[in-house]
Amino acid sequence: MIDIFKNIQSTLDATPHLLRLGRLFSETVLIDVDGHEFYLTFEKGRIISVAEGPSRKTPWQFALRTDAEALEKFWQARPEPGFHDVFGLVKIGRGRIDGDILSLVKNLRFFKEVLGLARTRQELAA
Amino acid sequence: MSIEPITGRYLTVTIGGAPRRIYFEEAGQGRPVLCLHTAGADTRQWRHLLNDAEITASNRLIAFDMPWHGKSLPPEGFETEEYLLTTEAYIETVLAVIDGLGLDRPVLAGCSMGGRIALQLAALHGHKFSGFIAIEASDFQPAWYDIDWFHRPDAHGGEMGAALVSANISPYAPNAERWNTLWMFMQSGPGVFRGDLSFYTKDDSLIPRLPTIDTGATPVHLIVGAYDLTCTPEDAKRTADAIPGATLAVMDQLGHFPMSEHPDGFRPFFVAALDKMPTTAAKAA
Repeated sequence: MIDIFKNIQSTLDATPHLLRLGRLFSETVLIDVDGHEFYLTFEKGRIISVAEGPSRKTPWQFALRTDAEALEKFWQARPEPGFHDVFGLVKIGRGRIDGDILSLVKNLRFFKEVLGLARTRQELAA
Repeated sequence: MSIEPITGRYLTVTIGGAPRRIYFEEAGQGRPVLCLHTAGADTRQWRHLLNDAEITASNRLIAFDMPWHGKSLPPEGFETEEYLLTTEAYIETVLAVIDGLGLDRPVLAGCSMGGRIALQLAALHGHKFSGFIAIEASDFQPAWYDIDWFHRPDAHGGEMGAALVSANISPYAPNAERWNTLWMFMQSGPGVFRGDLSFYTKDDSLIPRLPTIDTGATPVHLIVGAYDLTCTPEDAKRTADAIPGATLAVMDQLGHFPMSEHPDGFRPFFVAALDKMPTTAAKAA
């Protein structure tokens, strides 16, 4: 799992429009996958650190808590309904947002697209 | 170069005792079909159907921007008003447009909050229409988000609103149309999406009215996309089941804005819906 997040980190570095969208985002986000913690620290839109927990001393702004199977489905090119969006995971009971949700909402497009960088690359035009 | 057949004009009607300047677009001739946009958007959601020559050969498709939306201005004094759409104001607006345009018992096609009000009109003013196509429409939908997120001085409500509603767009939608659809939300005026959602997420008055809808006089057909998180197929089925004689179609590969996000995918469902509606001639007979 940590390899996926590190891959997101390097892909983000090569995605100029996301670096521009996230230029004001400098926070740590906790991704909790089946109880395993991954801390993504953003600095002006770049991920400067991907650290595996557990950690009791790493402050985070908001957290996405989900499970590996849900993320695997989320990262399909065409996920099934509910698994196609972060809030979809929440709506179907496979994800939970904790912490400063307004911080997430203010940066919602950025965060969704960053997390989606691990999505299987396929031609999406129908 | 190409010039589309859609024409746009303005109509001034009286709503709530005050004038409203309403922008509307139309294309085609024959049976009138009045189309209602979703919350936080405007008439452009219907652009593909209004440009569909086969459909407009026998249907006069008309769509208008609700006050505060698109090219319809907010009312005078809006600068000190909190925009909160109500069922009553929404109904009055739709009926005023029908009267203003002189439409004779149009088919009413509405999406999301437009679908909600279509069902309200089916229950309360059915005789003024010939049929109802309720798209992504449900009896009631409490918010699964905080509507106040979308109107605050320290963030751009349109950008946040677009990022939220992207959850309702199918991954099968062509990318260009996904972003055309989201652009309308990005352009929405301050507080307008919130004011629409207030109507959509807080007024449950439709629930007891659903069984009173007379589908023998005016057919009701619901259409819902599987990728719609706001009005899920289960929500639409519950709603259709409460209306005696209503029919429902589920679109496996579409979301909450089907006519805008994936026009080719939506077209056959809309054509099938129109086929279920009476022709004006049959109604006049």
